[in-house]
Amino acid sequence: MQLMKDFVNGLWNENPIFKMVIGICSALAVTTAASNGIAMGMALTFVLTCSSILVSILRNVIPSTVRIPCYIIVVATFTTVVDLFMKAYFPALYEVMGIFIPLIVVNCIVLARAEAFASKVSVARATADALGMGLGYTWAITLISMIRELMGEGTLFGYQVMGESFTPWVSAILPPGAFIVMGILVGLINIINREIAKRTQSH
Amino acid sequence: MNQYARMIIVLVIISMASGAVLALSYEATNPKIQEQARQKLEQSVLVVIPGATLMEEVQKDDMTFYIGLDDEGNKKGIAFKTTGSGFNGPIEIMVGYDPKEGTLLGIEILSMTETPGLGAKIQEEPFKGQFKGKSVEDEFIAKQDVEAISGATISSTAVADAIKTSLAKVVEIYPVGGDF
Amino acid sequence: MAKELFFIIIGSVFVNNFVLSRFLGQCPFLGVSSKTETAIGMGMATTFVLTMTAVAAYFIQNYVLAPYGLDAFLQIVSFILVIASLVQLVEMVILKVSPTLYNAFGIFLPLITTNCIVMGAALLIPMYNYNLIKSIALGLGAGLGFTLALALMSGIREEMEFHDVPEALKGPAIVFITAGLLSMIFLGFTGLVPLG
Repeated sequence: MQLMKDFVNGLWNENPIFKMVIGICSALAVTTAASNGIAMGMALTFVLTCSSILVSILRNVIPSTVRIPCYIIVVATFTTVVDLFMKAYFPALYEVMGIFIPLIVVNCIVLARAEAFASKVSVARATADALGMGLGYTWAITLISMIRELMGEGTLFGYQVMGESFTPWVSAILPPGAFIVMGILVGLINIINREIAKRTQSH
Repeated sequence: MNQYARMIIVLVIISMASGAVLALSYEATNPKIQEQARQKLEQSVLVVIPGATLMEEVQKDDMTFYIGLDDEGNKKGIAFKTTGSGFNGPIEIMVGYDPKEGTLLGIEILSMTETPGLGAKIQEEPFKGQFKGKSVEDEFIAKQDVEAISGATISSTAVADAIKTSLAKVVEIYPVGGDF
Repeated sequence: MAKELFFIIIGSVFVNNFVLSRFLGQCPFLGVSSKTETAIGMGMATTFVLTMTAVAAYFIQNYVLAPYGLDAFLQIVSFILVIASLVQLVEMVILKVSPTLYNAFGIFLPLITTNCIVMGAALLIPMYNYNLIKSIALGLGAGLGFTLALALMSGIREEMEFHDVPEALKGPAIVFITAGLLSMIFLGFTGLVPLG
């Protein structure tokens, strides 16, 4: 039950992108095509889960004075593994992501979860939390990238969706589009949350 | 065990473990990474030299040339890399050239960061295709003999300029009408 | 050479602003941009660390990693560790040398390690194959671009406090939309200097 709660937490209540608003750099930079969103989400979920598990296993071994350098080494190692793996097997995607795959190492989500959660709880709970946060991040940036791709190019995952008469709004895949789509989505999520709060109160 | 020693031991063990994991994953992925890079290069060479099925790398002066060969080993043309300054960053171009005729065989954009929907159209056939058959004698000026993409004159000029400048150098190494 | 350096700095401040167009350093951009005074303090501290990191990244890449073929798999680990230690070092030095200066921007220093603008700039140096002077220009330009974006945003946010913002957009949402408009303005600088 506790595990389920830890897992669901990252999906909505404490969604890293829409609620906590951390780890935004990659969410804005790579979301020009829906496939990038999914790939970036998977890469981050991998690093986050592996690091959380390891930090949780080592939580009684690492002295608290050197915990931050230890976490940094752990996260940097897994980031490099993902970096090499993507370079070898998905070179086209890797090229599009540019420096944002190596930048997972300074993604606030990973270090924040290691420091604030994984270092204090059991391996099972740390895993559930990391998977939830990772998936929460993945759906959030996939949604952003789908909206940007649809508006900016009229396609979804590379397939033409909009009719012939559709004029793409190029700004959506340019930098301003990222900020504006993000702002509107965060606003919408606020409205949905308020509605939910109202309903649960009136019952 | 005192706190200080434990601190150092933990750090050393973690760094060593990290180093081992990294070295292993590098060993595992490196051949594949090299292979991918080589394949990408070869593919672009074969695209810009129509009819070529094999390539051969040659160093001349300080430039690298890729000679395209067909199945019988006949030389079909040469290809070389050049870089232009685009709107948002460098544009890497592979150029196919036929020294016998002194004409371009085709171009391919290897990497660029131009604006999607505008400058990024330099990767599309209508723009790339127009360089096929252009002579080394041509001016390569956007909006004159090179058709510029509307709204992306800088990107178009960057490609045209890069080809023109590098061609001038290439012609000195492989003169028109000469063998290669 | 001077012209190229000028292009790199103008490129990183205006044309490809590190925050508004390259999307680096978003966390402090959202977090510490509510007051102009703190925004400028943060910007200056980051610029200082960025410039030092650029120098460090250049030497590590060209004299330690690349000669031994280690850059493919030790680059991320070594850069992040150097940035973390550099930030610690700067913090200690400032505390010793000038407590007033420490009070002004020392509190921002721990936040800089995880600011992706620093790591981002460090990673761009080997990617662009910059020499030492160009690397310094890139670090300085990135820092100035970051400071400019932060200062602009904080000015707007201070003003915004006196205006009615729709309930749902309060907090980060309105900041994102404002950043979008700023970013659109910065698009006007494209093509100002040749890049690459």
